[in-house]
Amino acid sequence: MKINQTNKSWHTLPRILKTAGCLAATGALLSAAPALAETTVFGQSDTIFRMGQSLDKKDLYPVYEYLRLSAVSSEKDGSATSLHIGGWARGDLGDKSARDRDTDADLQYGFISFQGAKNNFLFNAGRQFVVEGVGVQRLDGLYTRNDFAAGFGAAAYVGSPVVTEPNEPNLKADDFIFGGRVTHSINKYYTVGLSALRSFDEDGGVYREEEGLDVWVHPLKQLDITGRSAYNSATNGWMEHAYAVSLIPLDSLRIGADYSYISYQDYFYRVTTSALSYLVGNIDRRENVKTFGGNVDYSPIKNLTLGADFKNYNYDIAKNANYFGGKATYSLPDSFAAGFSVHRMDGNTDKLNFYEYRVYASKKISNLNLTLDFIDLNYDSRINGEKNAYTVAGAASYKFNEKLKIRADVDYSKNPDFENEVKGLLKLTYAFDTQRAAEGRSK
Amino acid sequence: MKYTKLLFLITLPLVASLLYACANTNSIARVHPEAVTGLPNCTECHTDSWGALNHKAPDFYSKHKFYASSKAACASCHQESFCADCHAHKEEIKPSDKFKDLVEHNLPHRGDYLSQHKIDGKINPASCVKCHGRQNNEGCKRCHR
Repeated sequence: MKINQTNKSWHTLPRILKTAGCLAATGALLSAAPALAETTVFGQSDTIFRMGQSLDKKDLYPVYEYLRLSAVSSEKDGSATSLHIGGWARGDLGDKSARDRDTDADLQYGFISFQGAKNNFLFNAGRQFVVEGVGVQRLDGLYTRNDFAAGFGAAAYVGSPVVTEPNEPNLKADDFIFGGRVTHSINKYYTVGLSALRSFDEDGGVYREEEGLDVWVHPLKQLDITGRSAYNSATNGWMEHAYAVSLIPLDSLRIGADYSYISYQDYFYRVTTSALSYLVGNIDRRENVKTFGGNVDYSPIKNLTLGADFKNYNYDIAKNANYFGGKATYSLPDSFAAGFSVHRMDGNTDKLNFYEYRVYASKKISNLNLTLDFIDLNYDSRINGEKNAYTVAGAASYKFNEKLKIRADVDYSKNPDFENEVKGLLKLTYAFDTQRAAEGRSK
Repeated sequence: MKYTKLLFLITLPLVASLLYACANTNSIARVHPEAVTGLPNCTECHTDSWGALNHKAPDFYSKHKFYASSKAACASCHQESFCADCHAHKEEIKPSDKFKDLVEHNLPHRGDYLSQHKIDGKINPASCVKCHGRQNNEGCKRCHR
């Protein structure tokens, strides 16, 4: 489906053939389920109407329709066959809001899935989002995983990456990708994964070649360590190290620390936008950054949390920067939430020297939910003549019943780009389920 | 060399079959046995490693990428559309639609992000790459040519 994305390796097949194949496979899988299997359908429609003006004074009134559908056929043994489809379409009632088109559409995901009753077996076919170590990728293709004996597990995927077409002739996208991850777990203590991927451009040349190590260690209930390292074999350098540790000595106290290292030359090697490219953009390929961070959160009473956090950015070329501050939050489940935070950024340019304030509150009154969010950046020096940049966002939503909800938002901003900016949004959500769905649908 | 490859091709499925046959563990429940609403604190019920998925933890947002490798665990509460809200292609223009009425959630894009992205892009551009490096970057070309 080449609407906004590229997936060139499938272009040799006519679209109608691909669609017919997918529908036939889905029908066969779902109809093959025994008559005793329970079939449930979860669906949601979100209609969104936005109102505002662009930087170049165009009047924007785009209407979006997001449609999500899942059909699950569950067996008594715990296995399930399912179909998941989600996508959106846009029509502009005013000037063209994006990509110089009045209308647009895209398929976000569309795959059939079989989940086994044993060993966490999973097989997916279609457009999907894969998360396996260095492979964090949307692709049109196949994915499978399974747990094996002695704590081992394995996953593999192959397909055509779903990427945005490059905006520069010097940049290109990949056309075919495969990869996998092998893990070892002792559920009570840790999971360690080794992953690798390789992708190719349309000429068959290697586009990406990455290997990685990821860890999740939790030897005690009070200790949680996560991290990963990724190596770029195409550039022969470490792209990234990122590790975080959380210590929870008391139910009311949580202490965290994190470290990361990014090598720009290896990390920004393959992108499809000049904004993040060192070939044609603003990224300096010689740069490396190390960050060290820490945070402490304490709840003196139930529902109240006080926190402080700090992060140091240590660059090889640019001057170092520090970001630090504190916050207080109070929340009563499903009825009230409020918070306040203050942070200071000490950086190397005018834009990176500011105080950041945020105040928010949310109150639920019966079926009505009201929220107010205020974010303010107070620069040390004026940026485009502005010393203070702020946004006030208000939202009100009303839930008619479990199926129908309406929401209205208004945002007001004053910043270095806009003197006064007002934008609005109306959203109508309708759920059509054959039985009550879990909480975790789209928001 | 070709015999080594042949041996590898024969041995691999045999070992895989053996390991598969030996594992025989029950899969994670497809649907969470208890209905979960709002931001759950998983430690209220789970005393094992699943307690780490406490959504109220201040660092849960930054660490969820590690837990997401066990997607079956996420899928027992979340539908695919939940992941797609952030990790699929959208034309996200202002005002943002993400968790607007759930203000206590940690998010990378709150407020006037058109101004803020210049700061985040300067301080740590790597944080943009996972979502915008190879997808969801059509909007970038309006200014970054």
